[in-house]
Amino acid sequence: MKSVVGLAAILAASVALPAHADKLDDIISAGKIRCAVTLDIPPNGFRDDKNEPAGFDVDYCKDLAKALGVEAEIVETQLPDRIPALMSDRADVAVASTSDTLERAKTVGLSIPYFVYKQVVLTRKDSGITDYAGIKGHATGGVAGTFEGIQWENDVKKLNDSSSTYRAFQGQADAVLAVSQGQIDATPLINTMAEEMIKSGKYPNLVIAGDTPYVPDYVTLATLRQEYGLINYLNLFINQQVRTGRYAELYKKWIGSGDPVDLTIKGVYR
Amino acid sequence: MNYTFHWAPALKAWPQLLWGAVVTLEIAVLSMILGVMIAIALALFSKSNSKLLRGINSVWVELARNTPALFQVYMVYFGLGSLGLRLDSYPSLVVGITFNCAGYLAEAFRGGLRAIPETQVRAARSLGMSAPKVFIFIVLPQLFRIVFYPITNQMVWAILMTSLGVVVGLTNDLMGVTQQMSVVTFRTFEYFALAAILYYALAKFVTLGAGVLARRLFQY
Repeated sequence: MKSVVGLAAILAASVALPAHADKLDDIISAGKIRCAVTLDIPPNGFRDDKNEPAGFDVDYCKDLAKALGVEAEIVETQLPDRIPALMSDRADVAVASTSDTLERAKTVGLSIPYFVYKQVVLTRKDSGITDYAGIKGHATGGVAGTFEGIQWENDVKKLNDSSSTYRAFQGQADAVLAVSQGQIDATPLINTMAEEMIKSGKYPNLVIAGDTPYVPDYVTLATLRQEYGLINYLNLFINQQVRTGRYAELYKKWIGSGDPVDLTIKGVYR
Repeated sequence: MNYTFHWAPALKAWPQLLWGAVVTLEIAVLSMILGVMIAIALALFSKSNSKLLRGINSVWVELARNTPALFQVYMVYFGLGSLGLRLDSYPSLVVGITFNCAGYLAEAFRGGLRAIPETQVRAARSLGMSAPKVFIFIVLPQLFRIVFYPITNQMVWAILMTSLGVVVGLTNDLMGVTQQMSVVTFRTFEYFALAAILYYALAKFVTLGAGVLARRLFQY
């Protein structure tokens, strides 16, 4: 009899005190994960011939949904808007090349790296810029809020020279268009996108003028800072993507031949 | 809401935001001065006998009033750029807002001109004043009194429209500074809230200032 009363008390308590559901619970019970994806950085995120979202990030989100046993919903966001999309609960996770800076980690929860970029200098053939140092004395620009844009702007400021300027655009397409038209002479660009664009033949006057001297740009999946359950899941998911060979498969499908880039950092744990 | 505001680091950026507000005001004032001058010309064009001048007026007014300001600013930068006419971000924004202001003000001025009785012009002419003198000393002062409030409205509009500078890469106006700060830190709400306060203060400053000015200028 005593145990029955005890059991009833426990049941009553569990009904009276609603269990605290975290984001991972919410996603599973909603049956849907909403990924903020940027669709102007081909081949990682773009719209295909049928105007459907496609690319590495889109497939990555679909894989994540599959692992969770839920549906994937792609929420298109401009690059500067992906974090506000998380904060305002329009998306659950940003699969949008979010560089893992310490400054940002104060605000959002970042997973282990799921991809890594090198940054190159994109310029016009007639600009006279042949390497990174050559941007001195030129009007340049990048995309607001990108890892490479922020570093480039800092370097331009360090030049302390009124003819070396920096403009921040809302999307990669605008920055590239501005280089192509000549409003600016060079922009930093992630290597995968620069190669894709030159291959596309849409911008015959553009060339890659070498690498930028930045450290590799490790990019992560981002969610709310306090969602440890989800961050934990994301970390394991990324690990599994590599372990199962799915990462290599996606790399080959979207980025190109050759070995997929190494996501580990030598000499330190994450 | 799952969000803890970090006001302390955001408030450290206050001086930069204030400088951004100065640049914003500068762009708005510059485009309003140019806009008013062009609007007077356009209003006169609309009364002209020349088909060409009337055509310029109506195309300008139609485009400026019936397309988004975002489109206008974007077209000045990227549209003219594709034709080989390259303007930097700052002048592009000034030209875009000037275009918009001139279109709206031209209509206000046209209405204002109609409100000034033709008999006054004829009386002044018959007293021996030349046509330009009549326009400057008889028509313009009254015109400005009539269109004073539309100008004030447009000035507030111009301040708010400067926020479109971000689409053409402007980084040193209030919106540009705000965005740069928020993308580096991801503290979007804090910086945008501070920016909103500054935009509000600028707009209020203009309307209150205009009110004081109106009381002084338009007393009979």
